[in-house]
Amino acid sequence: MNAQLFSVLDELLRSPEAVAERIRRREDLRPLVVAALLALGLGAGTFGAVLATARGGVQLGYSALKLPLAVLVTLCLCVPAFAAIARGLGRNIDLGGMVGLSLSAAARASLVLLAFAPAVWFVLDRGIGYHYSVLLSAVCYGFAGISALRVMAAGLGRDGRGLGILLCCAAVLLPTGAQSAWMLRPFIGRPAQASVPFLRHKEGSFADAVYQSAFSSVGRYRSSARVFEEETGE
Amino acid sequence: MSYETQALDAGGLDLGAAEDMRSSALAPAEPLGREFARLASGLGLASVFGLALGARSGGVALLQHALGAPLGLMVVAAVAAPSLFVRLALINTPLRPAQMIGAVAQGTFTAGLVLAGLAPAVAMLVVTIESAAAAAWMSGLGLWLAGGIGLFNLLAALHKHLAGHELRARSREFIAIAVFSVLACALAARAWYAWLPLLRGAS
Repeated sequence: MNAQLFSVLDELLRSPEAVAERIRRREDLRPLVVAALLALGLGAGTFGAVLATARGGVQLGYSALKLPLAVLVTLCLCVPAFAAIARGLGRNIDLGGMVGLSLSAAARASLVLLAFAPAVWFVLDRGIGYHYSVLLSAVCYGFAGISALRVMAAGLGRDGRGLGILLCCAAVLLPTGAQSAWMLRPFIGRPAQASVPFLRHKEGSFADAVYQSAFSSVGRYRSSARVFEEETGE
Repeated sequence: MSYETQALDAGGLDLGAAEDMRSSALAPAEPLGREFARLASGLGLASVFGLALGARSGGVALLQHALGAPLGLMVVAAVAAPSLFVRLALINTPLRPAQMIGAVAQGTFTAGLVLAGLAPAVAMLVVTIESAAAAAWMSGLGLWLAGGIGLFNLLAALHKHLAGHELRARSREFIAIAVFSVLACALAARAWYAWLPLLRGAS
């Protein structure tokens, strides 16, 4: 079993096309699912723990737990939509196949995050600061996402229709993944914070934060009270 | 009266069109009962998306949104599609009513399926997002995505039945279908905006 797991992990990294073909043929998907969950826990968990090294302490454990959880929650919410979109746009892939494909893609992304972990740890250890840490983690997520796209593209087809399905899936995945991660934050942890919460208060949403950051980036800072006044008219 | 007899009767008016009609009329069509069942399934699946939207406020809003979400699809199926069929018949396209119903059923079912697939993600988004405007925007994105895929399926089914005519006839069909697409989007958006309070920024 161990040899089979390592062989599947190797295949996930080296040949996304072979993984997609295995899912298309509906071979026994159990080793693939087990290997993918293992890769997800190990890769995303390690990267989460590394992100928390700047804060240290209990945040290490929290982030190691929450990052794989955010990925899994996002997959659970998005996979039914992916399957429906693929079916709607003429790809004959059922829910089981889409679960295998999405899980494999997430596993590949997690393994890429694992590859980034030592370099990120080194940079964080040099004390680059909270905001640069956030930026660095976003870049790593971007690279991991691109590597996951290869698995999805191999499974959905590399023609115009496959690209259309990928774009529609991305339109569902991006807001859902961002909001799931927002609900489970903090992952890095502000150094100035006295205590480390497992989850922060709701404090708006990812979309609200992006909206406010768009104003902040052009030098227009809006306080929470002002935003409340604008939205409610009070 | 069988499809073949109907097509031959139409031949008295226009022989060329009748030839086309005979070939498309002979294409196997699904039984009408099955198409209506598919249409109803699509509307039922769309109401699952409505339930997800209603989860933001709960209570009566659940029912209100569950009834409102299929309405956009119903307006397209009941108002816009018959209008397209009349226009296509006026320009003498070889499209049978049963084929039109089949195309509409396929489009509605696919849109409903995508809406139902989106429901878990949208429920999480509208419940956890604080800003009413952002929640409305996310719901609208889901409706447009599913509506677009449904429209794509409807047009693909129509294209299958209308393929292979002379260029002049095809250009007239194209204009009729393009007008229908714009009208279908506008009507569905209007119905959803009127019947889904969440889209109007209600929390």
